[in-house]
Amino acid sequence: MTQFQDIIKRTKAYLCLDCGKCTSVCPISILNENYTPRLLVNKVLRGDIDLLNDELLWSCISCGLCYERCESDVKFHEFIRDLRIEAYKIGKTGVYAHHGTMQSIMRMMTRPDLKQNRLDWLTKDLKVKIPKSEIRNPKSDSLTLYFVGCLPYFDSFFSNLQLNILQIAKSTIKILNHLGIEPVIMPNERCCGHDLLWTGDIENFKKLAQHNIAEINKTGAEKVLVSCPECYVTLKEYYPEYVAPLNAEIIHISELIAENLPELKNNGGTGFQPVKTHSQDGCANSSLKVTYQDPCRLGRFSNIYEQPRQIIDAMGFKLKEMDKNRKSAICCGTSGWMNCSTYSKQIQLARLKEAKNTGADLLITSCPKCQIHFKCAMSDKNIDKKTKIEIQDLTTLVANQLK
Amino acid sequence: MKKISHIQTALETKDIILKFPKITPITYTVRKINTSPCKDGCPIDTDVKAYLGLIATGKFEKALEIVKKDNPIPGICGRICVHPCETECTRDEIDQPLAICALKRFLADYELRHGSTPDLAGVKSTKKGKIAIIGSGPTGLTAANDLIRLGYKVTVFEELPVAGGMLYTGIPEYRLPRNIIKTEVNAIKELGVAIKTRTKIKSLSKLRKQGYDAIFIAVGAHKGLKLRVPGEDEFKGFLDCITFLRAVSLGKKVKIGKKVIVIGGGNAAIDSARTAFRLGSSVHIVYRRSRKEMPANAWEIEEAEREGIKIHYLASPLKILGENGKVVGMECIQNKLGKPDSSGRRRPVPIKGSEFNIETETIIPAISQEPDLSWLPAGHKLKISKWNSFEVDEDTLATNVKGIFAGGDCVTGPKTVIEAIAAGHKAAKSIDRYLQRKPLKEETKVNERVEFEVVIEPKEKKERVYMPHLSIKNRKNFKEVELGFKEKMAIEEAKRCLKCGFCAECSECMPDCEKSLVSLSIPEEPSGILLRVPLDQREFPLNGNPLQGKFSLAGGKKVTVIVEPITAQVRSELCRGCGDCEEICEYSAPKLQDQGNGVFISKIDEIGCKGCGICASVCPSGAITLNHFTNKYIETLIKHSTRL
Repeated sequence: MTQFQDIIKRTKAYLCLDCGKCTSVCPISILNENYTPRLLVNKVLRGDIDLLNDELLWSCISCGLCYERCESDVKFHEFIRDLRIEAYKIGKTGVYAHHGTMQSIMRMMTRPDLKQNRLDWLTKDLKVKIPKSEIRNPKSDSLTLYFVGCLPYFDSFFSNLQLNILQIAKSTIKILNHLGIEPVIMPNERCCGHDLLWTGDIENFKKLAQHNIAEINKTGAEKVLVSCPECYVTLKEYYPEYVAPLNAEIIHISELIAENLPELKNNGGTGFQPVKTHSQDGCANSSLKVTYQDPCRLGRFSNIYEQPRQIIDAMGFKLKEMDKNRKSAICCGTSGWMNCSTYSKQIQLARLKEAKNTGADLLITSCPKCQIHFKCAMSDKNIDKKTKIEIQDLTTLVANQLK
Repeated sequence: MKKISHIQTALETKDIILKFPKITPITYTVRKINTSPCKDGCPIDTDVKAYLGLIATGKFEKALEIVKKDNPIPGICGRICVHPCETECTRDEIDQPLAICALKRFLADYELRHGSTPDLAGVKSTKKGKIAIIGSGPTGLTAANDLIRLGYKVTVFEELPVAGGMLYTGIPEYRLPRNIIKTEVNAIKELGVAIKTRTKIKSLSKLRKQGYDAIFIAVGAHKGLKLRVPGEDEFKGFLDCITFLRAVSLGKKVKIGKKVIVIGGGNAAIDSARTAFRLGSSVHIVYRRSRKEMPANAWEIEEAEREGIKIHYLASPLKILGENGKVVGMECIQNKLGKPDSSGRRRPVPIKGSEFNIETETIIPAISQEPDLSWLPAGHKLKISKWNSFEVDEDTLATNVKGIFAGGDCVTGPKTVIEAIAAGHKAAKSIDRYLQRKPLKEETKVNERVEFEVVIEPKEKKERVYMPHLSIKNRKNFKEVELGFKEKMAIEEAKRCLKCGFCAECSECMPDCEKSLVSLSIPEEPSGILLRVPLDQREFPLNGNPLQGKFSLAGGKKVTVIVEPITAQVRSELCRGCGDCEEICEYSAPKLQDQGNGVFISKIDEIGCKGCGICASVCPSGAITLNHFTNKYIETLIKHSTRL
């Protein structure tokens, strides 16, 4: 089929050797035997157009583990993403979680005249620059822009999970201020569009991208800092791929922190607080054991594995790696606010158990979505106490540990 | 909860249920079907089932409202209607049909006893146009009622001193008390209709000159047909049934003999005979076919016989016997039944040598009537048929002269009161279109007729509540013979209704539903719109099958419709086992079940589930669905409630 030809070419699906490694590692395939990445590729190569009607198209959690293992370099997650775009065009969608509220919010944000009260969470101690009017003199402003993302929305929507997820944004600014940076924050920022893209709604994704690109470029920022791995990969990879590149460098907060670790450690002689242990023997010097969850968008998608580990190490925590870490890390179970299923739950429970089995008292992640998904799973009724573990965002942790 | 039980009683839903898979849902969907047989059988499409259901629950005012929607003279109709609805009634297959007519009368009597406030809604002369109606019978009265409600000025002209036409002069008082006619005519007068009695119209063009924009002729069929038997014009003692009944009705002195023969087998014949009986005569009826072919109402024939009236079946008059210019008897001949004639009834064939004589002083022929057109001025230009009736367009009742319409018995020959009312409605619609300068023929979209047969559970037999009658010995007067239902009897009888076709369209449930989820509309597709109907879980037969109805379309296409309960369903692959559904459900229907690997999946107990949908609304992963809350269904509801 011609509409599949481009997809096959772009994602190198034609190189598929039918070896099945993708299926053998896919966290969904392990639980749902009906779903196999290998077969999906196979079907497309055979020109099976009916695939677009297949509900399994929406089961992929786009963790990229299959791509990681693929000998032939088939970008299966992108293959799925592009097929979803085709399926969406003929009216197919996945099963939206939370009744599609998130998708609705994202689509609402495509309205050019939308008025958001986006910066209400800012407190006085956080030093930021807010562009007042559209015509601005770039020179008079900071060259770093902080792209906050959907944190304020998540904070109110998931208030029942008691995530305090806005703390990530506050912590980011706190760290930046600590480093002497007053970031620009845009009151008219919009969702980056990551989830719309992955749910197949390419049109609205483009609208969001165009808006954000124009607004960011208007500020004249040279660096765009993000605290969300999804924003990171979207701004860095998908905007150039589907719309246009930004005139700025995209930096994830963990990159920035890692780069400035010496300065943070010795900033005016303050540095990090000594890590307080929760151990029962009362030995003051024993380090708190932590483990780290690699977010797919930061790890496999962006190759940022070591910076978070350096930061954890620098703060004095003892990092106990899970069996599956870095390139082999297991996803937090769901993506795109869609098809959050019983398989997602099982992946989450298994991963939480794995984290717990390291002997760590704290699970650190650097993606707000990982935190939401794990905390949601733990908030469920009948959850086994053995799988419960404290979860903390890396950025929040860094800000807390700063003296 | 109180609200729900209120709705439940309103619809008497427990009777709707034929089979049901489980003992519960308070709400579930019913696919509404076009019409029930009773409504289908009624020439004016009365919502019979609706008012029966409302009577059954004691809501008499509301029931009356529904009756009056289509019928401006329920008290009259409730007494003398030939009730084709009862002929169609499904209950007939089990025991006897519902006493629909008597129940309608009960409502009118109820209103009479309790007084009423006339419904004057919409009665304002808002439209330009004056209408003259000639004749104040049921057709004329109905048309007047409709047209004044449409906003026109209406004047009814009546030649006789009383309004009501055949109702007053043709139906005897013991069947239809005069105060009933007066009350219902007055109710129409109160709307603003002017009824000019003792006013004979002699010129239609004069009416036009008086400013009437449209004329509706509804003069009925008041001219008795002749016997065409030797001696008919020779002797004194002949009295045409129409003349006879009219004279008695108007309180004139009528001389009839001690012995009276009535010839004919229609209702007019029975009415004449029973009237003569009340005047003190001994009465014989001569009818040429057998009782089976007799067109009069069976219950009327029965009463006549009980009153001692002798009916000679299969007998025809041969000649009139007279002495000194007066009738003294009639020679008849016995018939047998031959092959069916054009009317479908078997033709009477005389048996040679079976002649016999009946002594009599008065002969009342009642062998049919035709319109009396003697009032029409010469050169009137109206097309008249060979049966002496007006020729009109069947759909619009328009005559060949612009602005003049005709309907009722004067077009069709003698018919029933309910058909007369139907003609009145038709005329009013047509005259409205004429005065609004719209094309007379309405382009109506004819809905595909949906016939249905519902698989009826064997119903317990329950005898019809019989109408109490005046005892025979008290009938030598014109007191009403049928005494009417008391409230208890009416409720008991109404409860026998099988409610064919599920929804009664009484719309009682609509104001109760806070979220306006209940709405009614005429379905375009045979499966129709869904109606949420509350149910009482204790009343379910537990025999494991969903409610199923077979529907056949006009083209013979069969559709099977299954009524399913709304219960929440979990797509287990999407369930995360969060337990939100379990927490929020008021009926403890969802339960988390361990899948053995620490993963829990919600299972919904269908018996406990009431289909409220609250679990679906909290489910974070969209795993719970309610099978009838499809987008299309919700869209239909929204469209309906916003009248888009």
